[in-house]
Formats: sequence, C-alpha cells, structure tokens
Amino acid sequence: MKLNRRIFTFATGVALALSASVSFAGEAMDRVMSSGTLKVATDANWAPQSFLNDENKMDGFDVDVAREVAKRLGVEVEFVTPSWDIITAGNWNGRWDLSVGSMTPTKSRAEVLSFPEVYYYTPASVAVHKDSAAQSVSDLDGKNVGASTASTFDLYLRKDLTIDAEGTPAFDYKITPGAIKSYKDGTAAMDDLRLGDGVRIDGMVGSLPAILAGIENNYPLRVLGDPVFYEPLSLAIDKGDTEFNDKLAGIVQEMRADGTLKTLSEKWYGIDYTTAIE
Amino acid sequence: MSTPIIEMTNVNKWYGTYHALRNINFTVNEGDKIVVCGPSGSGKSTMIRTLNYLEAHQEGTIRVNGTDMHSKMKDVDKVRMDVGMVFQHFNLFPHLTILQNLMAGPMWVRGISEEEARKTAMMYLERVRIPEQADKYPGQLSGGQQQRVAIARSLCMKPKVMLFDEPTSALDPEMVSEVLDTMVSLAKDGMTMVCVTHEMGFAKAVADRVIFMDEGEIIEENDPINFFDNPQSKRTQNFLGQILQH
Amino acid sequence: MLFADTVVGDPAVHKPKIILIMVMVATVLFTLFGLNDTIFGEFMRPVIGEPKESGFFGNASIGLVMAIIVVINIVLIGFLPFRIQILIVWFELLLLFLTFFYSFGLNYQFIQSKIWFMITQGVFTTLYISAISIILASVLAIVGAIAKLSSNGFAFAIASFYTSFFRGLPLLMQVYLIYLGLPQLGYVIDAVPAGVMALTLCYGAYMTEIFRAGIQSINKGQWEASRSMGFGFGLTMRRIILPQAMPLIIPPTGNQFIAMLKDSSLVSVIGVWELMFLARTLGNKDFRHMEMLITAALIYWVLTVCLELVQSRIERHYRTASH
Repeated sequence: MKLNRRIFTFATGVALALSASVSFAGEAMDRVMSSGTLKVATDANWAPQSFLNDENKMDGFDVDVAREVAKRLGVEVEFVTPSWDIITAGNWNGRWDLSVGSMTPTKSRAEVLSFPEVYYYTPASVAVHKDSAAQSVSDLDGKNVGASTASTFDLYLRKDLTIDAEGTPAFDYKITPGAIKSYKDGTAAMDDLRLGDGVRIDGMVGSLPAILAGIENNYPLRVLGDPVFYEPLSLAIDKGDTEFNDKLAGIVQEMRADGTLKTLSEKWYGIDYTTAIE
Repeated sequence: MSTPIIEMTNVNKWYGTYHALRNINFTVNEGDKIVVCGPSGSGKSTMIRTLNYLEAHQEGTIRVNGTDMHSKMKDVDKVRMDVGMVFQHFNLFPHLTILQNLMAGPMWVRGISEEEARKTAMMYLERVRIPEQADKYPGQLSGGQQQRVAIARSLCMKPKVMLFDEPTSALDPEMVSEVLDTMVSLAKDGMTMVCVTHEMGFAKAVADRVIFMDEGEIIEENDPINFFDNPQSKRTQNFLGQILQH
Repeated sequence: MLFADTVVGDPAVHKPKIILIMVMVATVLFTLFGLNDTIFGEFMRPVIGEPKESGFFGNASIGLVMAIIVVINIVLIGFLPFRIQILIVWFELLLLFLTFFYSFGLNYQFIQSKIWFMITQGVFTTLYISAISIILASVLAIVGAIAKLSSNGFAFAIASFYTSFFRGLPLLMQVYLIYLGLPQLGYVIDAVPAGVMALTLCYGAYMTEIFRAGIQSINKGQWEASRSMGFGFGLTMRRIILPQAMPLIIPPTGNQFIAMLKDSSLVSVIGVWELMFLARTLGNKDFRHMEMLITAALIYWVLTVCLELVQSRIERHYRTASH
C-alpha cells in the first residue's frame, strides 16, 4: 500500500503540474442536463455506504442519497467505481459529475475539489480485538494502530487532520500510536485486527457504522470509548462549476429539511447520523 | 551471342580496412558459362554475391541486365527476380513443402496463378528428377536432393542468369555428382551461368572461361584448355597443383 | 524431458536408508506441528487416551503414525509407471489444497450465489481485456522488434527507449499515468481503454524482446534466399521469417498471456469490474472476503490451466508443421 500511495502522490503531482484544463462555469451542469444522466463516482467496497448487494447492483446509504439527488435534478443516475485515490485526486475531466462517497471535506482535498454541502456526520471510533486489555483510547499509546490509507482516520493518527467544513465539532488527538499501519480500506484493517489481539495490529481507527456492521457480522471486535472525532461528510464535485455547486447544495438542504436524509440514515444505520452529536 | 548480361568495371570492395575485391573487371555475355575458382578467402564468394547485391561494393560499376546495381531498391529487386542464386547451404524454406518452395517465388513475386505455378514447379521438379518428393519438407530430403530442389526453385523464376556459390561444398561426396549432372544439363540447355566451384571436372566439361582469383584480384582468365594445360601465373600453377594432385 | 540415463537403478524412495530418513523427518515435523487436538487425535484415542491430555507422547505417536502412512504412500507411488504417478500425485496435492480451503469453514451458499456473476461479469471482462491487449501487444512487438533490428538509428532509438521505459515502470504506475495523465493532454480516456493501453504498452515492451530474439534466431541464409528471389522486406518477414520464428515465439508469448491474465487485475484500481475487483467487493457487505478471494483464486487457476492446454496445442501444431 505504501507503493500505491506513492504512485498516487506522484500521479497527482503530474496531474496538478499539467493541470491546464479548467472547467467553465455551468459546464458540469450543462453536461448532466443535456445527457440526462448524472454520473456518480462511489466506492463499491464500503458497506453499508456503498456496496454490491445480493443482486450485484450498487446499494447503500450513499447510493440512495445519490439516487435521490438525481431524482431531484430530474435525470437518470449511473454509478462508476474508480479507486478512492483517483476520486480524491480531483481533475475528473468530465469522466463523472459527482462523488457521493462519504468524503470528508478536508483542506487539502478542497484544493482540488469543491464540496457543495455536508450531508451527514460519521463518528470516528477506535476498535480493538475483544480480548484486548485496553480500557480507554489512550491505552493504545505506543501500540500498532491501523487505518485506511489517505483517510481522515489515517490523518488523525498522524495528528495532521484538519477538517475545515462548517460545523465540524472540535476534537483532540487522544492517541500517540507507536506505529501506524495503512490499509487499502477499513475492512482490510478489520480483517487484520480479527486475527487476534496484537497479532498484526493492536487497534484501529475507523468509521463507527463500519465497525458496528463488522461486529454484527461476527467480527470479534469491541468499540473503545467514545468517538474520537466527528467527520462531516460531503458531496464532492470537480472544481469550477459554481452553478452546479449551488444547485446540489440546495438539493441537500432540501433533503435535510424534509426529513429524507434522516429517513435514509435510519434505514441504513438504525441511527440518525445527519446531525453531529456533541 | 554477344549481349553482355553482367559487366563489372573496376569494382572495389572493403570490409573495414580489409580490401576484399581489387579492381575486378569482367563481362558475362548471354549463354556464357563461367567458372570462378581460387583458394579460400580469395574473394570469389564476395564477388558473386555483389552480382545480385547481397553484398554492396564501394567503387566501380556493376551492371546486370542493363541495370546499374548502385541504384534504388526497386531496381535491385527487379534484377534479383532475373538472377537466380544457388547457395552452398541450399537455404530452402524449411516450413514450406518442396512444392511450396518452388511455387513461392512465381506466385508472390511474379503474380502468377497458383495453377500455373504448380505446373511450372512440377516441370522443374521432374527436370531435376525428384517429382515424387513434392509434398515433403526440406528436412526430409538428402543434401543432394535439397540442392537440386534449390536449383529448381531458382529456375521457376525463369532467370536470365544463374549464380552458383559453391553449390557442392556442403555435400557428402556421393551426392556431388547428382548436383553436377543437373548443372551440366542446365548448361547444355544454354543457361547463362556463373559458378564458384572447385569441381575442375565440371569446369573442363562446360566452362567457356575459367577465372582464377586470389587475394581479391582476378589473377587469370582463360578458356579451360589453356587454363588447365598452360596456366600463366605462378599462383594459378600452385593452386592447380594443390587441388589436382589427388 | 532431461537427458535420461540408460542406466536405471532403484528409485531413490525404495532405498531403505532413504525410507528411514523420510520416516524420521516426517515424524519430527508432524510431532512439532502438535496434531493431538485435531481430527487425527480422535482417531488415535484408543492408543493415546484423551487426546487433549496426551501431551508429547500423544503428539509423537500421532506423528509417527502419520509419517508411516505418508511414507508408505510415497513408496507405493514409486512402484507405479510415470503417467499414473503424475495422476496420483496431482490428485493428492489437489486434495490437500481443497482440505486447506475447506478448513476455513467457507459459506458455500454464498459462493454459489455469487459465482455466476463473477463468471459472466468478472471472467468475461478479464478475458476480453487480456485478449485485446495481447493481440495489440503482439502487433506492437513485431513493429518494435523490426525497429530494434533495423539499421535506422531513429527507429532503433524510439524502440529501445520504448522498451526501456515501459519495462522499467511498474504496471500499476502505467495504469495511473495513462488514466490520469492522458486527460491533461486533452484526451479523456475511459477506464477500459486506459487499462488495455497500459497492458498493451507494458507487455508489448516485453514481447518486443521475445519477437526480436525469435526473428534473430532465423538463419541469415533464409533472408538471402528470399531476398535473392526478389521478395521484398515485408513479404520475407511475413511469409518466410515469422512463420519460422513462431515456434520460438509462441511458448514465451503464452507465458506472457498467462501473466497478463493476472496482471489485468491491476485495472481494477480505475474501477473496471473484472474478476479481481469483484473478488474484493462482492464479499464486502456480508464480510465474506475469504469466500470471494478463494473462489477468484480458483477461477484464475482454472483459466491458467486452460491457457496452458491451448498453448501446448499450438506448440504441437508448430512442431509438426515444420520438421
């Protein structure tokens, strides 16, 4: 994964260096409206937000939100599944129009992407193996802790997390891990943790819903303490089209106001995650 | 009988600093049978290979069938179609049958129909007396048979002149005569031939002229009777003494 | 086959000394493994009593029994003719692997519910991406090989730069560079064409060397014979040289195709739903990764075996075509 990360950094660098193509205002909006299709990039490996269901179709909370957004735009929806690295690198060149992928609107991402509107919050929690002796988050100081690579959890462990979205609850760095192990995704970290307490890692930071879903599926894990921070999660679009940006922001506000978001959250998580709990 | 088919004028060739051909001058007229001999390394193979531009010369002119061999690829290819060449190591195409080897040139280069090419091929196979091998692959034939096929392959292109580059040197002794017989009968039919060979019996029987080369030079050129009975140069005498003493 | 010596002795596995060594080594290994809490312990209950409490004695006696069974098996196989030996050893190794997979306690119903989609979507995509890429790579390789053998400095320089560059970069990086880099030059390339392009360029570079070696191995006399009959360069290449080079080119090209089949999994990073992508994603919701990974592994293996069979067919064809 280290290599992967480096390639990604390099590729992003190349992309930025060459970045001559700037999209024009209204370009994305026009593309969506004239083709009648909203192309949404999302991960296929991120249950329960987005995954392949029993019929091998895209399904999940993010997928439902994307469908609803498309409906309110009056267009069809189509899903593509590039890797997370590529989505967050920006510069989509019109390959897809929108990311509904539970993306945290961090400052560095904001340099290449626009974030129309936060649509829900995920509590980030620490999980350990159920045999672990750790009682509080700080018991993991000096231990091996895992997180998915290039994620906010990873940045949190590195004490380098800035979430500049409005309404982000304040947080402290409560862990000083001995070593950080980066994974392709959160599930991979959970798979390593289930092997036993301290076998590969001693704990992990991930999204609470994902950890809870794992525990429901018999992963021998336990959530440690309260969430360490709340992550606002936003829609993302390529830079440059303010018209599209405003339109999407309006739709999400509407969905929050009429309770659609709350209903979807409860459908997928059993909890309303659409407002931050402090 | 005096139309020149090959004219070499002051031809010089070097491999790096090694002077391989020195001032070669000679003419082959239609119907001529020329035998070129000389010790190994004397440049006789190099000389015959310049005639169809398998080797390039650096100085002098070579005209074959009226075309200057220092000119364009297109001309070279045209000359090559009219000049048959038989190699020491046969160089049949091992992935094609005997018949296909013979039909390849006429069909692919001359654009002759398959049926006609097959007819011609069978005719020449009979001429070299191995029609029954038509559907075998070269690897299944003896060396002598392969060389006869190679001659037939060249004949299928209806060449104006045939070049033989030591056609019998790679053969087992008992197979030499079958190849030489083929060449003799070809000569009797009036084919223009240039042969690099050490078979002096063949030279005596068919050659109009014998050329002796040494160190890249033509030392002596004479009719066979005078060449063998009354060689002029000391080097020719030495050479003949060596190869005829057995 | 290697050179077979005409002097044939007893097979090594029938020499008493070697049998003894095998039994001893196997006993030690099995004992160290500690088999008394496995199903083998249950079998030995009449001898060692309660398996869990039998300690070293239990482990050692199970180890000895297992070792003797395994060695008897080996000795017996030693008596059989070559072909039957192959069949039995293959069968036994396969059985061992399946037991290994079985020990994960996989959910077969889940596999059953997903395998059809894995084949229709995943295998299909993997195969067509690989097939298109290998065809394009072959074309590229012929051109590259000719350029690398040419006396034209320009052509040689381009070809050698190409092979050096694309053999020198990790394939994954090429996938990223093409997918993310080409749009900067004004051409937005889709995921599948980008993947095909990366595979083509990378494997074309490797295959250029294979084709070059194949073409070079053909005797110069073949060129001279066909050129002296007035065949042009293209005709000589197509009708005389390449057909003869094929038997040398096909086996390593087959290997490249098999390798490409698996390397095509790298295009999953740009969101192509091929076999590897599905292996990682299908089990995601239900946390059934092992099921999907092992299924995909077996599918890849079966595909490879099929390709090996095709390859040996083609090789035999070329062997019989030119004697």
